[in-house]
Amino acid sequence: MVKRLFLISLLILGLSILSWGSIKLVMAVHWSDYQVNGVYDKNGNLVSKGLKQYVDEYMHLNPDVKIEIQSVAFDDYLKKILITHMSGKSADVYLLYSLWGVQLVDSGILNVPPRYISEDVKKNYVESAIKGTTINNVIWGIPIEVDNYALVYNKKLLKEAGYSHPPKTWDELVEMAPKLIKKDNKGAVKQYGFAFLAGWDSAVVHPYLSLLYSCGGKMLAPGYKKCLLNSPEAIKALNEELRVFKNGGTDPSASVWNFAQGTVAMIIMAPWYESSLKIAFGDKFAETVGVAPIPYIDKPANVSYAWFTGVDSTCKHKKQAWKFLSWLCSEIQPNTKTTRLGDLMAETIGAIPPRIIDLKNHPKQLEDVYTRTFIKELKHSIPEPNVVQGAEIKTTLMNEIVKAWHGEQTAKQALEKATKKINEILSEYY
Amino acid sequence: MKNKNPNILTMKRKETFAGYFFISPALLFYSIFFIFPVTFSFLISFKRWNMLRPLSSSPWIGFRNYIYLFTRDDLFKASLINSVIYAFVTVFLTLSIALLIAVVLLNIKYAVVWRFIFFAPIVTPQVALGIVWGYLYDPNRGLLNSILSFFGIPTHHWLTDPSLALFSVMITAVWAGIGGPLLIFTASLKGIPDLYYDAAKIDGANAIKRFWYITLPLLRPTLLFTIITGLLGAWQVFDLIYIMTRNAPAESVWVVSLYMYQIAFQSLRMGRASAAAFILFLIVLVITLIVLRIFKKGGIEGYE
Amino acid sequence: MNRKRKRLISRIIIYIILAIIGISMILPFVWLVSSSLKTRAEFVAKPPVWIPEKAQWNNYPKVIKKVPFLKYYSNSLIVSLSVTLCVTITSAFAGFAFAKYNFKFKQFLFSFFLSTIMLPAFLFVVPEYFMFSKIPLIGGNSIWGTGGYGLLHSRLVLILPFIVNSWGIFLARQFYIISIPDELLQAARIDGASEFKIFIKLIIPISKPVLATIAIITFITQWNYLFWPLVISSSAPELSTLPVGMKMLAMAFDPARNQQLILAGLTIGIIPPSLIFILFQKYYVSGIGMTGLKE
Repeated sequence: MVKRLFLISLLILGLSILSWGSIKLVMAVHWSDYQVNGVYDKNGNLVSKGLKQYVDEYMHLNPDVKIEIQSVAFDDYLKKILITHMSGKSADVYLLYSLWGVQLVDSGILNVPPRYISEDVKKNYVESAIKGTTINNVIWGIPIEVDNYALVYNKKLLKEAGYSHPPKTWDELVEMAPKLIKKDNKGAVKQYGFAFLAGWDSAVVHPYLSLLYSCGGKMLAPGYKKCLLNSPEAIKALNEELRVFKNGGTDPSASVWNFAQGTVAMIIMAPWYESSLKIAFGDKFAETVGVAPIPYIDKPANVSYAWFTGVDSTCKHKKQAWKFLSWLCSEIQPNTKTTRLGDLMAETIGAIPPRIIDLKNHPKQLEDVYTRTFIKELKHSIPEPNVVQGAEIKTTLMNEIVKAWHGEQTAKQALEKATKKINEILSEYY
Repeated sequence: MKNKNPNILTMKRKETFAGYFFISPALLFYSIFFIFPVTFSFLISFKRWNMLRPLSSSPWIGFRNYIYLFTRDDLFKASLINSVIYAFVTVFLTLSIALLIAVVLLNIKYAVVWRFIFFAPIVTPQVALGIVWGYLYDPNRGLLNSILSFFGIPTHHWLTDPSLALFSVMITAVWAGIGGPLLIFTASLKGIPDLYYDAAKIDGANAIKRFWYITLPLLRPTLLFTIITGLLGAWQVFDLIYIMTRNAPAESVWVVSLYMYQIAFQSLRMGRASAAAFILFLIVLVITLIVLRIFKKGGIEGYE
Repeated sequence: MNRKRKRLISRIIIYIILAIIGISMILPFVWLVSSSLKTRAEFVAKPPVWIPEKAQWNNYPKVIKKVPFLKYYSNSLIVSLSVTLCVTITSAFAGFAFAKYNFKFKQFLFSFFLSTIMLPAFLFVVPEYFMFSKIPLIGGNSIWGTGGYGLLHSRLVLILPFIVNSWGIFLARQFYIISIPDELLQAARIDGASEFKIFIKLIIPISKPVLATIAIITFITQWNYLFWPLVISSSAPELSTLPVGMKMLAMAFDPARNQQLILAGLTIGIIPPSLIFILFQKYYVSGIGMTGLKE
């Protein structure tokens, strides 16, 4: 055993000597598979570039820099940051969901970007992305993705029931959903009119927030000192959700993932579901799938959230890290007039790039039937609040909402309970 | 007086030395891998720590974590209840079925094949079992619902319905857990001399009476062992529930081990999670001692 | 006539019940393998397709290309074997001591060892991770244990936390209490052998049954263990073991899209070890029988 330890330490010493003088950056991403390695066709030719190709390109241009990509599952990403931070050897570059960013900022983990980066962000990105990347009035990185929500519906199923266009207001949806239900001869539901996204905190909370915003409500008071979920607007928004349950348009076991099987007529969904739908519907995709703004209560609104890149405050090569990120995310390529990250997002990953010029210059990917509605709705998108303990707050709210869906409590009870708990959490920090 | 029994003295010293010599590796191990971690975690349970700030600068909040868990955390209370239900029901079902099958298999040809069938889930990681059963329970495409519909039973949402979810996971756990006790019971049953049964048969006892008055009492040590092992394993279950219950409402399925994990890594409350772990430990300790006491009344030697 | 018939009926009933139970035990595995050979369309079909029309054997190469099974298997094997070896040895040592020697604090120490099983594994994760990262002069660490990553990138970190197990000690103690008469030891001592020599030359050879049992149980438990390797693999993905690999499998393919490939992957991870374990079954059974659990 001692011998093994000795050999291991020799090996490590040797390796560290070899890499002396070169700059090493570790980039932790929640992407995997084709998102990192690129998309290849049957003959092994690269069809669209993954992160790895861009990283290789940068390393080629900058031979003294070595960048290592670490793929971590979305579920495990925050956990990885927490754990590696304890050992003092965290990654250097992160892709952060904004609420993770809040936790990290609150604990001093992130490095404030250099001025040229934050100035660039303020000038060249869409409003919701900028707000999403702002924590405590400071911009903490370069936005890489902005997501919002829309109503995704099955045109064929709607036509069968006699509807030529999707619901515009929530009242219309409440009325339409039950008419789109089909049952088999044993009484079990074969086809649902509507299904709520569920399974994790954002899934349940984001569509609810969209409804809340659309009737003029807010989740938290400015400064995050108080939770406003017991306001009349909040209760109304949840009651509107419950109406769909009450008149039979959906039930708690409806699953949005069955939309791809053609057994759900309408769902509220985010942009990243597109590739799954394209594969599921094949060449019938364009004639089957329709996207419309979320049916609103009083005025159109939906919720957005953002991802941004950040640099760890213990990174030994901060300047280099930001330089790489700037090359990847902000530098405009002369021939396409887009950024490399914009290409990666739009072409390979299928997400919405938040830089204004990327939105303009990726017509093929972003003007398609599915994505363009999401982009149009960005103007109605209100970012979710960047509050500390965001995951805990949203999980608390989610638990109460789901219980209400199951009929275990009324909307008022659910929201009163949630507000009480959230206020307790807020009082710890604000 | 001093020279009364020098041999005995040196022998005693020799024994002590030998004893400590032989347990020294274990002792060393536990001083490093037990004393330090447990003390560390115990101290953390009195702090508020989100694992990002340095431990030293995190506030000391005394018993507040514990008080919160006991008085204001509905989710923790629900998790505790779920843990207890899960532990007792799965252990009871698993052991009863395993014992019955062990008895039946004693007199069957090709018993080895049967034992093989039951043992397969034991050597499979729970992660894999959880994924497979997750598909089986799928309300729309799962095997279970299609088999049941054959018998006219309507579709159930096994893993999302709050009243069914924990129960469904328990079924999987029992399915996966029969093999181990089955083998243990088989070995133990084989050790009961036939003449006991023969004598009983002559006295006119039927199979059930023989089982109740001969088999069970003689199996007491084994039962104690399997109950304790089973319970200890059941308190710690994590993989299975984590994988299978993503979409069920939390309060109906979370057990304490899952609660600890989520509170630590999602809500970033490492202090509270550690406190929850210690509360669980106390409960496990108390229940284990109670079980031991119940069995001791029947007079078992060799167990503490 | 009546008794014979009764026995026949009860036999038939027993066989039927056994058959039902046996089928329900195997069914998930059968479904697993058959589904791993389906196409995507067959997998999502409703009503469910039981047996695929044409076995898609090429699902397997597809999975093998994307998932580093060799790494998972080799990590799991090395770690499990090492832990098994250490646990067997330390259990024999400590179990023997508790069985055959009297020393101060013996009762207390035994209870203490047993109580370690009751602590939730969760309590050990953070402190041990912290400990391993701060070992001085290893893995780029300075003499104060800072700066590098300690042992975190070595397989030792997956092995060391498990090299002593109180279950093993308990089982060994039971075995030695029952199977080794004191007279045997006295005789050996009179012959002038040291305690250590007695242990090695006399006790160990007789201990084969219980050691086999401890080894098999330990190996299986360690093979299936998820939690600690999962934590370690977040900072050192090259140390992933098979259960960790299987969890990551669900991420390698979009779970809503290619479940049949995931199942093929699971099959690769489950079937080979199961077959091997089941072969060793008989050693496990005989060993248990000798630990006095059948008094």
